[in-house]
Formats: sequence, structure tokens, C-alpha cells
Amino acid sequence: MKQDNVFLVAAALATLLLAALPALDAPFVQSLALSCLMYAGLAVSWSLFSGPTRYLSLATSAFFGLGAYCTAVGLAHLPWPLVVIAGGLAATLFAFLIGLVVLKLRGAYFAVITYGLGELVKHTITHVEKTWSGTVGRVMTETPSSNVVYWSVLLIALLAVVTYVRFGASRYGHALRGIGIDEERAATLGVNPMRVKLAGFCLSAWFAGALGAAMAVRWTYIDPNTVFNPFIVFQTVLISMVGGPLTVGGPLLGALVFSLLSEFLRLSLPYLYMILLGVLLIVSVLYLPDGIAGHDWRAMCTRVARRWFKAAPAVEPPHE
Amino acid sequence: MNTISRRLSLQAALALAGMLAMPGFAVAQEPTVKVGYTQSRSGPFAGGSQTTQEPNYLLWAEQLNAAGGLNVQGKKRKIELVGVDDRSDMETIVRSYEKFMTADKVDLVLPPWGTGANFAVAPVANKHGYQLVAPTALSQKLVDMKLPYYFVTLQQPKPMMQALVDMLAAHHVKTVTVAYMDDLFGLENIGALEPMLAAKGIKVLDKKSYPLGVKDLSTMLKGMKAANPDAFIGITYPPDNFLVTGQAKEIGFAPKIFYTAVGTAFPIYRERMGKGSEGTMGMGSWNPKMSKAAKAYFDAHVAVTKKEPDRWASAHAWAALEIIQQTVEKVGLDRKAMRDHIAKTEFDTVLGKMKFNGTEEVGVPGMVGQWQNGEFEIVWPPARATAKAVVPKVWN
Repeated sequence: MKQDNVFLVAAALATLLLAALPALDAPFVQSLALSCLMYAGLAVSWSLFSGPTRYLSLATSAFFGLGAYCTAVGLAHLPWPLVVIAGGLAATLFAFLIGLVVLKLRGAYFAVITYGLGELVKHTITHVEKTWSGTVGRVMTETPSSNVVYWSVLLIALLAVVTYVRFGASRYGHALRGIGIDEERAATLGVNPMRVKLAGFCLSAWFAGALGAAMAVRWTYIDPNTVFNPFIVFQTVLISMVGGPLTVGGPLLGALVFSLLSEFLRLSLPYLYMILLGVLLIVSVLYLPDGIAGHDWRAMCTRVARRWFKAAPAVEPPHE
Repeated sequence: MNTISRRLSLQAALALAGMLAMPGFAVAQEPTVKVGYTQSRSGPFAGGSQTTQEPNYLLWAEQLNAAGGLNVQGKKRKIELVGVDDRSDMETIVRSYEKFMTADKVDLVLPPWGTGANFAVAPVANKHGYQLVAPTALSQKLVDMKLPYYFVTLQQPKPMMQALVDMLAAHHVKTVTVAYMDDLFGLENIGALEPMLAAKGIKVLDKKSYPLGVKDLSTMLKGMKAANPDAFIGITYPPDNFLVTGQAKEIGFAPKIFYTAVGTAFPIYRERMGKGSEGTMGMGSWNPKMSKAAKAYFDAHVAVTKKEPDRWASAHAWAALEIIQQTVEKVGLDRKAMRDHIAKTEFDTVLGKMKFNGTEEVGVPGMVGQWQNGEFEIVWPPARATAKAVVPKVWN
């Protein structure tokens, strides 16, 4: 508990520092930070549900796209904060409806169906737009300034972090972990798995929807193919897995490393970029199953040292 | 040769190389002109970007640098292209252009590929006062945004559809069936097309839309075959062009006129469809037979990039570069002056005279092209035609 509070204070301080970034008047640094914060928010909120439960959800793109579409429709009629909140709520509502059905599945089936539902939403929106509004792409002309977008995304990312920590420490958080370890046992111990999973899934969806709603205005024009982009969910899952979804530091670290690394690689080694990302994923899945943040580095170092220096007398790791 | 003299000659060579490499040693070298752009080398936009747009950028820089550089009000300055892959991702595109304009402070920016990407970048460029002359953006909505620093060289849906309908009327077409893609491009074109068809008294027997990424259109085509129209109009993109052409042949749907929209003018359409491409009509603007300038452009494109340009937007990409080149020669790199010059000047380009009315280029009319013996002939309007239309299409 105490540790959590220290972390939250640190997060609040970091947020204050980041909030001052527009004062630098460096739009590129700011847009790099924006992209980093977006993925931090997405990865933390994804980990909130998928980390403890081990349900690999690929619905993030659908949530994100729904939020973005809400902005495209609502921006002209609602004030900005309401637009963002509504984008999140649309994603939550969708998560609730599909959650009632898909949360009964597990493992690969759950992953595949959440991905498939994303495609379903994409085509549904295309059909609805075509039939009733006579357009598929939507143009947003009166958009908030880039600083407002940046602060909004920063705030949502901070909220995601606070929620991750608070939710994780709550009864619901414990119940989610229990479900991840053994769903039947959790049920016999008095947890209602459906209710708990649904709560986690819906909560996690709100953040992805709100982030989509906040980011959409940066592109002026959106259509189903750009906002329901599978790239977003793949990147989110990659960040969370490499960082480690079981601690809040994992996805944050992953988002930071990935955003900077992928930008650097894209600009300087464009052809190696995809290959390196692929290798990184394989390495982290094989050797760091709990991610960078969740990995027991000390044990690994000891093991490696033992293997390499077999001839030398084995050194016991110091005990505290 | 002994060691010492070998070492000496090596040192001399290195020193010479060093001196040559030093700026300002022999001739006072003008600073390079930095040109920033993103193109899609990966992701779903890569096919279009790498056929129509980026080869032109590379060709342009190479040609200019071989001739001493870009003429900036009388001074030749080498072009330095800063081109990066945007992964077909909107946020990456916006971020990259923000970097070019604010952190790198490049001298010029060239636009990304595709309507969506242009929508995303146009306001950013406008905000920072960089002009963009875009070859691959197709939307009345984008034109209607009236961004002062944004220009499009490609014909918009209205002139393209008008040319098609005029051509159909000239061939006494009475009935058509229409297939279109479920996106802004499809809807804007169909929106322009329907009233024009009605005005000429051409009846639409069947109208169907399909989603992006469709894998089978045979049911739709069978329905159209049953309707037995004079002409088929497909508001399509690649790879649907291949699909619709191939499946029409398979089921024996053989209208007199067969029109598929974007990407029909790509050389790959001719290569993939082989004989099936013969007689297919589509959106186009030019071919190497049109003029000497067009032939010179075609030959240079093949020589440098090792591939043929497409017979529609490639030349619009080249024309956009010619417009920038002529502007910089006249007014230098002052961006406000460049914008004003582009907005009010008539330019000589590979496609003939070009001139902007706001965002939209109004000098080049809408056209219809048709594959005939391996070349995409312009068959409409008569003033620009390089061959007569072959009607009915050959369906062997």
C-alpha cells in the first residue's frame, strides 16, 4: 500500500513536469511525447485487465476506433471534455455488450474473437454511415489546439495509471488475479467471475476509447480503415508484453522504450526496423515471459554466471 | 615500392581526399536544399506510394543534382531528400511532418501518398506555412477546406465523372450497372456520377457497393450480367480492379464498355490482366505518345527507377514537382512568396498548362483512358485523345 502511494506521488509529479512540455515550444518533441503517452495509456489500461486475468484481448483497436468515431460525430455538437468522455463510454458500452458473450471463452478463442469483433465494428460502422449519413469518411474542421490534445492524452494516461494501481489493490483486483491463476477455484471461493471480468474489461475499454477520441482530431479526416487499424492493438500488446503487464511500471517502461526506439529505428534504419521489433518480441516471449519489469533479473544473472563460469566455484547470490 | 614511399603516397592521397571533401575548398559550394517527405514503404498504402509517387521524388532529385542542383533564383543548389517510411500510419505521418517543419526546419516539404494522409498533413503544413502541391488526393471535402497553402494537381471526382459520362453518351450507351467501394472516394464519385447519368438519360440498372478488402464479387457481377447493361462502371481501387476484371470474364459478363477507376492506369494492371486488360477503360491523364515532354518524362522514369510510371497520377506527381521547381526558380525559397506565386501563376508542365483555382487545379480536364495494345490510350475528351476508343471491349 505504502509503495503504491509513493508510486502515485511520483506519477503525479511526472505528470506535472510533462504538462509543462508545451512551454518548450518544440512541436516534434511534444508529438513524440504524445505518441508515447498514448501508448502508455493504451498499454496500462490493456494490462489492467489482460495482465492479471491472462485473457489476451485484441479488442483495443475496436475501442480506440469507436472513441475516434464518437469524436468525428460529436465534435461539432459537444464541448471537448464531454466528447472525450463520451468516446470512452461508447467503448465501455461496446465492451459490456460483447463482454457478456466473449468473456465466456478463453485462451486463443478469446483472442481471435475479440480481434474478429473489431472487424465487425469496422464494417458495421461503414454500413451505418453509408446507409444513414451518406458518407464514410468524416472531416473534422474545428479542432482543439495540439496543446489541448496533448494535455487530454496526458490526463487520460495518468488516470489509467492511478486506476491500474487502485483497482489492482482493490477487492476486484485481487479477484481478477485469482481468476487468472485458476478461474474455477476463484469461483468456489465466492468470486463471481463473470461480474469481475466484465468490470475489468469495461474499465479497460474506457481508456482506449477516450484515447481514440482525443487522438482523432489530429488526423482531420477519419474513416473506418484508418481508425480501426490493427497496428494499434499489436503495438499495444507488444509494449505490454515486453514491458511486463503484471506491474504498472512494465507497460510504462515498454511504451517509453518502444516509442523512442521505434521512432529512432524508423528514421535511421528503416529497413531493419520491422525485423528488430520482431526479434525483440521473440526474445521477450522466450526469455522474459513476465516482461522487462516483471523479470527476476538477479536470478537470471546468477544462472548465466553459473553456466558461463562452470569451472569457477559457484558463487551464491547474496541474501538480504 | 618500399614501405615509406607507399605510406607517403597513401598520406598524400588521404590529404587530397580530405581537402576535396572540405566544403569551400575548390568552389564555394551553395548549401543544399533540404526536402522532407514521408512515403509508405510498408503497410497498405505502399503499393500506390511506390508506383505513383516516391519514384518521382527520387527521379526529380537525381535529375536536378546531375544538372548541378535546383535553381534558386539563379543559384544552383543541390537537393537533399529526407524521405522516411510512414508505415501507412496517420499518427506517424503527422508526427514526421511536424518534425520536418519545426525541428529539422527543412526548406521544402513534399506531400505523402493518399487522400487520408493528405487530409492529416494539409492543416499541419498550412499552420506552419509550408506549401504542399499534392498529386494523390481525391476529395471535394479536402478542396472545400480552402487551406491557402494546399494545392492538388489531380483531377477531382466531378471532372473525372463528367468525362466518363460524356464519353458514354458519345458511344450511345443507354444503360449501365455501377459497383463502387464503400469509402469516401466511392461515395463522392457515385454522388457526382448519378446526376450526370440522369442528365444524359442513361439508366442505372443496378448499383452495388462493396467493402475494402473484398475477396469475391462474382455474385454481384452475376446480378449485373442478368441486367445486361451497355456499360459497367466500377469505382474501384487495386486490387479490386483485378478481381472485378477477372471475375467478369469468368462468369461471361461482357458489356460493351468496361470501366474501372483508380489503378487501371498502373502498368501492373496490364501485366496482371494480360489480354484481359485489352479494351478496359479507366481514370487516366496521359501517355508517352501525348507530347515530347511526356515521352522524355516516361523515358527518364524508366531509366532511373527501372519501372514505368502509371498513366494517371504519376504525371500529376511530376507536374507538382515541376511547379515547385519553376516557383523556386522565380521567387526563391521564401515560403509566403512561393505560395502566392503558385496560387496565381499558370505553369507549363508535362500535362500541359496548369493553374489553380483555390486548392483545385483547373487547367487539365477530366479524361478517360483505355488499354489498347499495351498502351493506355487517352480516348476522351477528343481534344486530348491519343487514339479512338475501341468499342465494344474485346472479351475473347
